[in-house]
Amino acid sequence: MRAAVLLIIGLVLSAALFPPQWYPPRLRFEIAQIVGTPAYDESAGSNMTAAEPEMMAPTEEACPEDLLGWRDAQTIDGVEIAAAPTCVADNPYAIAAFVRGTNNVSTDTLLRAGLAPDAVVKGADLDGDGDPDEIHIRLEVAELNGGSPDEQEPTAQFALAPGITPGLWVFAPKSFGMATENFESNVAMDLLRLPSPSMRIEQGDVVKVTLENTHYMPHTIHFHGVDHTYLTADGQGNDGTMTSENPLMPGEARTYELNPRSTGTAFYHCHVQSQAHILMGLQGMFVVEENRPSNTLQTLNIGAGQVRVTSQSSRESYTQEYDLHYTDLDSGLSGIIQRSNDPVEIERWIHGGYNLIESESDYYTLNGRSFPYTFRESLVVTGPDELIRLRVLNAGSEGLSLHPHGHKATATHLDGVLQSEGAQVTRDVFWLAPGQRADLTLNTTNDGLHSYGSGVWMLHDHGGRGITNNGIAPGGNMNAIVYREFLQPDGWPISQGEDMNMFFNPEFYRRADDMAGASASGAETEFTAWFMLRVMGFGLALGLALASLVKLMFPVVRSADES
Amino acid sequence: MKAERSHSRLSLRALPSLVLLMLCCGQGFAQVGSSTIEVIPIADRVPLAREVHSQHEHAADHNMQFDDRGMVMNSNSDVLPQDCESISEDIEFTVRAGTDYALNAAGRTFGFDVHDYRVPPCSRVTIHFYNDDQVRHQWMLHGLPRYLYPQGMFHLEANGGQHVMGSFIVPSDDATYLVHCDITQHMEKGMKAQLVVGAGSGDLWSVPGVSADFNRPTEKVPRGTWLLMTAMGMLAGAMLITMKR
Repeated sequence: MRAAVLLIIGLVLSAALFPPQWYPPRLRFEIAQIVGTPAYDESAGSNMTAAEPEMMAPTEEACPEDLLGWRDAQTIDGVEIAAAPTCVADNPYAIAAFVRGTNNVSTDTLLRAGLAPDAVVKGADLDGDGDPDEIHIRLEVAELNGGSPDEQEPTAQFALAPGITPGLWVFAPKSFGMATENFESNVAMDLLRLPSPSMRIEQGDVVKVTLENTHYMPHTIHFHGVDHTYLTADGQGNDGTMTSENPLMPGEARTYELNPRSTGTAFYHCHVQSQAHILMGLQGMFVVEENRPSNTLQTLNIGAGQVRVTSQSSRESYTQEYDLHYTDLDSGLSGIIQRSNDPVEIERWIHGGYNLIESESDYYTLNGRSFPYTFRESLVVTGPDELIRLRVLNAGSEGLSLHPHGHKATATHLDGVLQSEGAQVTRDVFWLAPGQRADLTLNTTNDGLHSYGSGVWMLHDHGGRGITNNGIAPGGNMNAIVYREFLQPDGWPISQGEDMNMFFNPEFYRRADDMAGASASGAETEFTAWFMLRVMGFGLALGLALASLVKLMFPVVRSADES
Repeated sequence: MKAERSHSRLSLRALPSLVLLMLCCGQGFAQVGSSTIEVIPIADRVPLAREVHSQHEHAADHNMQFDDRGMVMNSNSDVLPQDCESISEDIEFTVRAGTDYALNAAGRTFGFDVHDYRVPPCSRVTIHFYNDDQVRHQWMLHGLPRYLYPQGMFHLEANGGQHVMGSFIVPSDDATYLVHCDITQHMEKGMKAQLVVGAGSGDLWSVPGVSADFNRPTEKVPRGTWLLMTAMGMLAGAMLITMKR
């Protein structure tokens, strides 16, 4: 019987000492009716505000200094390269090699570019109009933020935004040497990045694209919207799909042939398990330019963005040209390659473990970066009275509703096809379904319609998900149209709003549920000695009650005890 | 990769000896595992060509080759390391690379036909590097004296179906050097080897056919282990409860 008495005592004590924070709202209301409402507590809820300032100190510079002078306008191997107004610019030596051809530049330029001598080979001028028409591009497949048998950290790192390094596969120009910046660094060298490079060729060019599969998975290239034959001249598959050819295995090479008759903005992507491989990053913009005399193109544009050597036809009508490549990524998919080092296991997970139907994207990128890094390298910088060509590609799995603040742009081409004058719609939200392209003309004439004047005007996806990094804003594909008077010499916009330094900290983009010390359900009360005694008493009383209950319920134990 | 290379360079089989080796590894560690991180500007990340012979068949006599066949960097067949009086021996290796040489094991897609090279101190090592794939591969060695080899590196790179060759002279101390292909994921998927000078300084991690992976065991716990453990736990609990004193 002693056990029954102890059980009752334990239950009564537990009820009395139960932490009041856990009372149901109804009970709290009834108690307040009897004893009155508790007094105002100044310390309640202070833990969040106290942690904030320390959390948001930047861990890196918003606009790193351009030590190598890559932003400057310069002439390399006879190629005139326009200045890049943004903080971070492409390697001008690589640009020069892409214009002249890696077979026509000095060894010094190639070494500084990091390119192989046969990365972009330019041959004969077939139509005699002063530019090469035989183009041979060699692409490899690189894995960024991949796994390792020895490392906890991802290898060959590429961050979308501070602290965000999902596993990626990208097409990359054929390079040489180390895949990282140097032996001591974990960061991928500048040619290896998201997105896969934009490619530019001229209408009528005789183009070969050789895929050298340096990756451990099978891949192909499918040219989406580019005029190409189904089979090559010697009867090999030329469409990159499962109906035209077998996937290209690790260590193998295959050459695709193109001789496009029509122009326009198109794209290219891997067509092996395309529900997964495209969203791993194997996607890039592909532009067929109009045929013009002396039209030597910048064949590749690393990381898309501003085209620093524009085509003749672009120069006829536009002051500047930008490639804007939008996509989205799912960490559920991209995390697979970081969890295992075994390609067989990775393949098993991509094929049968990962379910795109039940997945949603976490990261939204513009030219391979998410805000705040988009502000470093993708700003559209302009003066008044300019006509700027924006080639927009949505290669992601979700729709894009692209909205420029302060401007109404005009869509001249859809999916690479010139629209009749009456069909060229002028508006401020452009919807692009997955795979669609639009060529937009941004007119910066301050006429109250095309432009409302100077400023730092946001340019972003108006679907709320697109401006977040895993649900935390500001992030995603947030970008801006910046008038030059609002741009600092270092390339960072002069804004009079929030201090943007606080976004340069991985803590800012960490979700609240994995933040130590913060609770999502509300503020914690202070852990006083009195409260500690109460909780300890509650624990003891509950233990007593449970032990008594066990004694009552298990006769074997009781009889053993009593004997 | 940085940390990985540091502890790979330290050549460990067992983690506890890490600290001990850090204290006594000496010169080799100082070269690669240096705590100061040098930021090498991109423009200088490769030594500029002192001599470029694009059509030359024998690259071993030149510091650099960079052409359609591939690349040879920091080849050195005559300048001795400071600690060597003379070349002790001439050693030649013919190395074949590609997917054909991947071990038939989990996580191996690429490989060399030899993953473990043994040479005496102060020997001159010549590598004939054949690439049997249709894509680039590298035979890159790290940790050589920086006063002779910029960035401490000897580097062979062959295009698909090509071969290149080069030489280097190893220092006199017993050490194990990392050899790998630095194309993304090639080392991780099997293109990792070691060059052991003299007695060496232990094996590196995850060298195919030589040593285990550091943090990814290839053997997994068999299916049903958790079920069995839970069942045994419940059985023990039941036995305790019903046991008479």
